[in-house]
Amino acid sequence: MKFPALKTYAVVYLIFLYAPIVLLPVFAFNDSKVIAFPLSGFTTEWFTQMWGDQQLFNAVKNSAIIAVSSAVIATSLGVFAARASTRFQFPYKAGIMGLIMLPMVLPEMIISMSMLVVLLAVGIPLSLFTIIMGHVLITTPFAVAILSSAFQSLDKSLEEAAYDLGETPLSTFRLIILPLVMPGIVSSLLICFTISIDEFIIAYFLGGNQTVLSVYIYGQFRFPAKVPSILALGTILVALSIVLLSIAEYFRRRGIAKTGAKDTGGFL
Amino acid sequence: METASFWGRVRRSEAASGLALISPTALYAILLLAAPLVTVVLYSFAQSEQGKIIWDFSLDNYIRIWSAPNVQLIMLRSLTVAASVTLATVLLAYPVAYFVSFHVAPSKKSLWLFLITIPFWTSYIIRVFLWKGIILGYNGVINTVLMGIGITDEPLQAINYNAGAMVMTLAHAYAPFAILPIFVSLEKIDRSLLEAGQDLGESRMMTFWRVTLPLSMAGVIAAVLIVFIPTIGDYVTPDLIGGGKVPMIANMIEVQMLKQNNKALGSAIAVTAMLIVCVVSIVFLLLNRRFLSGQK
Amino acid sequence: MTFAEDKPNMIEFKDVHKYYGDYHALRGINGTIKAGEFFSLLGPSGCGKTTLLRTIAGFEGISSGAVMIDGKNMAGVPANVRPTNMVFQSYAIFPHMTVGENVGFGLRKDPRSKEDKAKAVAEALEMVGLKGYGGRAAHALSGGQRQRVALARALILKPKVLLLDEPLSALDKKMREHMQIELIKLQRQVGITFILVTHDQEEALVMSDRIAVMFEGQIAQLADPETLYRRPATKQVADFIGTMNFVPCDILSDSGGTIEVDAKGLGRVTLSADQVPPAQGVDPVVGLRPETLTLLYDDQKAADREVKGVIDEVIYFGDMTYYDVYLGGTDVEVRLSMRNVPGRPVLDVGTEVRLAWSPTALVLFR
Repeated sequence: MKFPALKTYAVVYLIFLYAPIVLLPVFAFNDSKVIAFPLSGFTTEWFTQMWGDQQLFNAVKNSAIIAVSSAVIATSLGVFAARASTRFQFPYKAGIMGLIMLPMVLPEMIISMSMLVVLLAVGIPLSLFTIIMGHVLITTPFAVAILSSAFQSLDKSLEEAAYDLGETPLSTFRLIILPLVMPGIVSSLLICFTISIDEFIIAYFLGGNQTVLSVYIYGQFRFPAKVPSILALGTILVALSIVLLSIAEYFRRRGIAKTGAKDTGGFL
Repeated sequence: METASFWGRVRRSEAASGLALISPTALYAILLLAAPLVTVVLYSFAQSEQGKIIWDFSLDNYIRIWSAPNVQLIMLRSLTVAASVTLATVLLAYPVAYFVSFHVAPSKKSLWLFLITIPFWTSYIIRVFLWKGIILGYNGVINTVLMGIGITDEPLQAINYNAGAMVMTLAHAYAPFAILPIFVSLEKIDRSLLEAGQDLGESRMMTFWRVTLPLSMAGVIAAVLIVFIPTIGDYVTPDLIGGGKVPMIANMIEVQMLKQNNKALGSAIAVTAMLIVCVVSIVFLLLNRRFLSGQK
Repeated sequence: MTFAEDKPNMIEFKDVHKYYGDYHALRGINGTIKAGEFFSLLGPSGCGKTTLLRTIAGFEGISSGAVMIDGKNMAGVPANVRPTNMVFQSYAIFPHMTVGENVGFGLRKDPRSKEDKAKAVAEALEMVGLKGYGGRAAHALSGGQRQRVALARALILKPKVLLLDEPLSALDKKMREHMQIELIKLQRQVGITFILVTHDQEEALVMSDRIAVMFEGQIAQLADPETLYRRPATKQVADFIGTMNFVPCDILSDSGGTIEVDAKGLGRVTLSADQVPPAQGVDPVVGLRPETLTLLYDDQKAADREVKGVIDEVIYFGDMTYYDVYLGGTDVEVRLSMRNVPGRPVLDVGTEVRLAWSPTALVLFR
């Protein structure tokens, strides 16, 4: 029972998915200011040019601060929500979880605008801090989703067994629960970091005059001369994303292997 | 009375423990999500004068925007673009999800899923940039190919800055999003059902039509929503690929909120957008329920 | 084979009730479990047997009554300080630890030296037949090995009571039968009170000194296996344990000492008091086990009573054959089991047969 046509289609589909990403490094190393075929030669000039850009350096620094803070806060909030929702029954559970997960299905424009309206009304100045607030909001659902599946696969009798063998609820959490959900925590941190680094709309509208990476890239669209160095930057960003995702996937799989559970697929 | 046993205590106060545990996350969502959304809804019934909100409750904003032809046009365009993107992604994604679920060895499934998901996690803004600059651009891949095979003599200007280019860019961006839910629903199908279908005399095609497709419908509907909702609210693609010439709802919200500084009107547009999203979601969720009840 | 009555009580249930909201899960449990006893809680799923076990472990509080362990009321005593340890249905082997770390988990606060603890772990592993497995990863074990690790982990703490929650249900038939014998041997070796929860009546009969049969949150009968089998206290117990034929009957006289009944197809029988458990308000029936009915071949004579019948169904098992037989001219069907021996052919459906039976094998439910 072979479906060569289906397989061919799937491969073509993957090529379609990857085409722009593959073209990225091709032009990033192309020795021409104009982005066009045919290619004219190899150069690392665009990378060098990028290296000396103080504005870019600033944006990278801001992005790093935001992404690390958002990942840590969102994952912490995610641990609370995931533990509560997988282990306890409480009133309004569906409603509360729905609200927490809502940013996943709400256009980011609406999130950023409604936050902006309130921030302006309350008088909180726009800064890196307000971007972090927004990014925590949109990354928390992803953290909850990843961590819920980590907590869900924990057999409740493991906790009972530890308790039965003389541990307290607190030491049970430290000795049994935490080590078993650790891969989920690591993968949640990495995913939240990746989302935050790439995010544009919230960073653009809630950042005031602070520039982050995605906003910097957006700003460079107006200058055709800058295009090759943006491609160089993009190459590095994409490579970074892939590395982070691979690490996240590694930890997710290790978590599955550790608990001896069945692999049911991707992150979501 | 053995009232103080640990698990007994936990069970009795389970509601309290659960609420206490979820309170940090819940409070965060209430303060930074629920409160702002409520504010926007309230603003949408107020009036804006020189950037100041005047609490004069009326439906004026809604009447104004719903009756304005240019707003109607933008709403309609947003709906059309989002619907086209959704249709394209879901139709194109289904065979891939089917292939991975049914024809890939179990040990290789997560590798395939990983490969499919990676592009989604790479910077959206970079991907839009690539489409604009490299693929759809004046000297881009498409024009190069078109000239190379002799369809045109000079680069086409029109392939950028239009709704079609936007649909393509968005469809590419959200493709992995459509595959995952469909894949999950296909994975859940008991394979013996398919054998039963063929055993009962159905051809492979009819088994797909009468067993596989209905059983995977929940995933298809999830895919529809997961693609439709972010695309209808997309800001970057209309701005960059459309070059500002074909604005969508998000761009209109920005114009009213920031450029015109009319927060009340902007809020009304935002609420309208949320209403559209809600209506579409409810319609599809009802469809989903019908399919689910049909399965029982 | 009644268990020594002179042993001290290890567990005592005093009118234990348990509610989950409106649901009345345990409805007045009374009874005692003796020290050193292999005791089983047997019943269909949802009868409250696991809940009862968990009230001993301390995972479930009780709504009223008392659970005593070794003479002490356990009210307010949390699971982590009770003198009980549990083998979970899923075994609950910590997947991120080695076999040795699992077994030694409960020794964390033990004041002994590291070497002494390692020795204790090695001994516990040897006891369950896993000598030298200490360094293996826990998640790589087979079902039977996981079970042994769970046993070693619980027994290393030398509890007064070992609780086993359906420990064999996840194993295949061969492995299950093997582990049943191993568990019995292990229990004799360590001398600890074992309390086993099971829904498998055969397993309970094979392994236990005494069994409590539970239905709907109540103990229907608490007895040794033989009594349970031969003299079930209720029709429900009789039906749950093994196969029991029920023959409708009329009660002719009840003198208090003996009861005379007219059983459909079997005729008039006089039953002694020990064949008549307390009345439960069911339509009167006499119960008889399949093996107490015998097919009479050729000119064989019945030792006691004889009844004619027609074979309705033949179920061949290799060493045994089950026959479903209509009792002479009635619509009452009984099942009987015959050992297959050379020279005695398996009979066909429709054959007219004579059956031997004995009134002393009957139990009356009313």
